[in-house]
Amino acid sequence: MTTLDKKPARAEGRKDPWSQLLVKVGKHQDRRAYHSLFEHFAPQLKYYAMANGMASHAEELVQEVFVSIWRRACLYDWQKAAASTWIFTIARNQRIDMLRKMRRASVEMHVETEDLWQIPGEDENQPVTSLHRLMSERRVRDSLSHLPEEQITVIAKVYMEQKSHQMVANELNIPLGTVKSRVRLALGKLKVILQDQNV
Amino acid sequence: MTRHHPESLSLLEFSAGNLSEPHALCIRLHLDKCTLCRSRAETLDSLGAVMMERQPKVSVSESMFDSILAKIDESPAPQRTPQAGPKISILQKLLGDDINDLPWKHQLGDVSVMDITEKFPGQNERVVLQKLNAGGKAPTHTHKGNETTIVLQGAFSDQNGVFNQWDFVVLTDQDEHKPVAIGSEDCITLSVLSAPIKLTGTFTRMLNPFIR
Repeated sequence: MTTLDKKPARAEGRKDPWSQLLVKVGKHQDRRAYHSLFEHFAPQLKYYAMANGMASHAEELVQEVFVSIWRRACLYDWQKAAASTWIFTIARNQRIDMLRKMRRASVEMHVETEDLWQIPGEDENQPVTSLHRLMSERRVRDSLSHLPEEQITVIAKVYMEQKSHQMVANELNIPLGTVKSRVRLALGKLKVILQDQNV
Repeated sequence: MTRHHPESLSLLEFSAGNLSEPHALCIRLHLDKCTLCRSRAETLDSLGAVMMERQPKVSVSESMFDSILAKIDESPAPQRTPQAGPKISILQKLLGDDINDLPWKHQLGDVSVMDITEKFPGQNERVVLQKLNAGGKAPTHTHKGNETTIVLQGAFSDQNGVFNQWDFVVLTDQDEHKPVAIGSEDCITLSVLSAPIKLTGTFTRMLNPFIR
C-alpha cells in the first residue's frame, strides 16, 4: 500500500480506481496495474483512432499511447487530472504528432506538438488552480447524463471524428448556427461558457 | 489579468485537437497566462475523456500487450528528472529572446509587420506579427475572413475596448476598426489570418498595412 492510500477518506474519495492504478505505475512501475489500465483503455483508444480516420494506424496509435503512459506515469499527479483525462490528452497529442509527421516528414518542425497541446498536471510550476480541477471529470460525467442526445452527438463528432462545426452541420444536414447553439447549450451546462460571452 | 478570452467553441476545438498549429499557438499563449481559461480547457479535456469512454470499444490484437512490454523493456525505467534551468517559452523558441529586436518590415506610419508563416509549414493561414509604435495609430481597416489575434506586448484600443497583453480577439469581415497603441510600449500582436484584410473608407489599398 502506498502512503497516499493510507490518507483519510477525503483524499481517497477523489481518486478514482484508474487514477490509483496510474499512480502505482508511476511510483513502482507496477505491471499488473499497467495491464489493468491497458485492458480498460486500449479498446477505447483503438476506437478513437479508427473514428478519426486512422484505421490503418489504429493499433500503432494505441501502442504509442501506452508506451508513452509508461514513460511519463512518473509525472502524473492525480490531484491535477483524472487518469482518463490525462490518457485522453496523451492520445490526442499522439494522434496530432503522428499526423504531423506523416504530413511532412522532411520539413523541420519549429514547434513541438506538446509546446502547443500540453498534458494536464505535468507543469510543476503550475499550481492546482482550484478544487474545480479535481472535480471536473466527475462533474462533466454528471452533467452529460442530463444533456439531450442531439447535443452529445454534435460534441462527440468534434472530439471523436475531428470534425469542424461546419463539417458536422453538413453531415447532419442542419444549419451551422444550430450546431453551434447545441454545442453552446452543452458547454453552458458544463460551465465552460463565460458569462459575458455572446451565446 | 486578461479580460478578453477565447470563445468556448474555439477552446473546444483546441481540446479536441482540431485546430491548426497557428490557431493552437494563439490559444496556448493565452492559456499560459490565464488561469480562468486553463480551468475551462481542463474541463474540456475531461469532456474529451468522457466522450471517448461513451463510444464503442474495439478489441485490440492479443499480442499487443506483450509487444508493448518488449518495447518498454528496451529502455531504462523512467525517472522523474528535475528540469534543468528555466523552461524556454514557446515564444522564445519561435522568435528568440526579444520580440522588439526582430527584422521588422516597416509598412507605413506607425505600422511594422513580420510574416512568420514559414514557421508553420503545410498550413493555409498566414501568420503575421504586427507592431504599432507606442501611441501610434493604424488606418481604419476591415478583415476579409477571420483574424485571430493575441497581444504579445503593450496594449491597443479600438471601439470595442482596450486589449492588454495576452488578450485574445477574433475579428471577422463584419468588424471595422482603427486600433491605437496605448501605454508606453510598442504594441506587438500575433495574428492568424484566414484571408488578407481589406481597407475601407478613403484609404487606398496602398495604405493597407498588411498587404505586401
